[in-house]
Amino acid sequence: MKIKVMTVYVDDQDKALRFYTEVLGFTKKVDFSQGPYRWLTVASVEEPDGTELQLALNSNPAAKAYQEAIFQQGQPAAMFFTDDVKGDYERIKALGAEFTMPPTAVTGSTIAMLKDTCGNLIQLTQLARW
Amino acid sequence: MTYREQYTPGPARGAQIRKDGEKWTLILVRELRHSPEKVWLALTDPAHLREWAPFEADGSLGTVGTTVKLTTVGAPAPHVTETTVTRAEAPEVLEYNWGDHDMRWELEALGGGTRLTLWTNIGRRFIAMGAAGWHICFDVLDRLLSGTPIGRMVGGEAVKFGGWQRLHAEYAKQFGMETPNMPPQAAQES
Repeated sequence: MKIKVMTVYVDDQDKALRFYTEVLGFTKKVDFSQGPYRWLTVASVEEPDGTELQLALNSNPAAKAYQEAIFQQGQPAAMFFTDDVKGDYERIKALGAEFTMPPTAVTGSTIAMLKDTCGNLIQLTQLARW
Repeated sequence: MTYREQYTPGPARGAQIRKDGEKWTLILVRELRHSPEKVWLALTDPAHLREWAPFEADGSLGTVGTTVKLTTVGAPAPHVTETTVTRAEAPEVLEYNWGDHDMRWELEALGGGTRLTLWTNIGRRFIAMGAAGWHICFDVLDRLLSGTPIGRMVGGEAVKFGGWQRLHAEYAKQFGMETPNMPPQAAQES
């Protein structure tokens, strides 16, 4: 078994695809549709065959409620690891993204938090070197 | 050989696209060798839908105002949407929504058969995919009503089938779409 796909719910898949590729810098991996269902995933450019992130439409009430509740609590819907959180912060901010937390040192890592424009908070994490 | 093994879809035909603002509509026309009453039943009755349609219904779609759960068949994650039938004039017009797709079916008597037209809105990049999928569904429907069923072919099962890929490319060409983005694993495995 492998961890291959993780899901974030989004309120608009086209908007999400733009944000996750053009702003965050991921690459589109799979995009197909069956009737109203659309399976859309992105992957890291650094690891194109690595874990995929599914951008799933929050079209059912449970998904929507979950997404809104964790957003209001300030919980990130997904966490991405980077080797340069300050560099990514500057790059992503320059592309217009709204950060709710600039790079901040916490136990064992430096983290930053931003809005994905689709109803989620996303956390960027750089592990500290011990 | 079974009927299914003998099946090869015909060339891509009978599909049009219409653009209204940002909204794309796929219009599919198919002449069936069966009466409108028979086709109507196949479009509305859950037991019939299960044999050919890309979704399952937990109730009949044949009555206005009924709420029915539609389950997309073969989606890579469970996908259930609730629909309300907004128009049901047997055996001529049927309207409901499938998720964010408006579905409008029209049945016209034609000789002893039926000219069936489906209007459905669809994302632009999935138009050729939708046209190929419905093309095969209508073939399956026609054979079901003829008493020579070949079994439902939807989702990944349809994509793996060589005929689907040919139809996909043909419809993409007809609509002047860029090279269709092939679905993933399913297509590569075949």
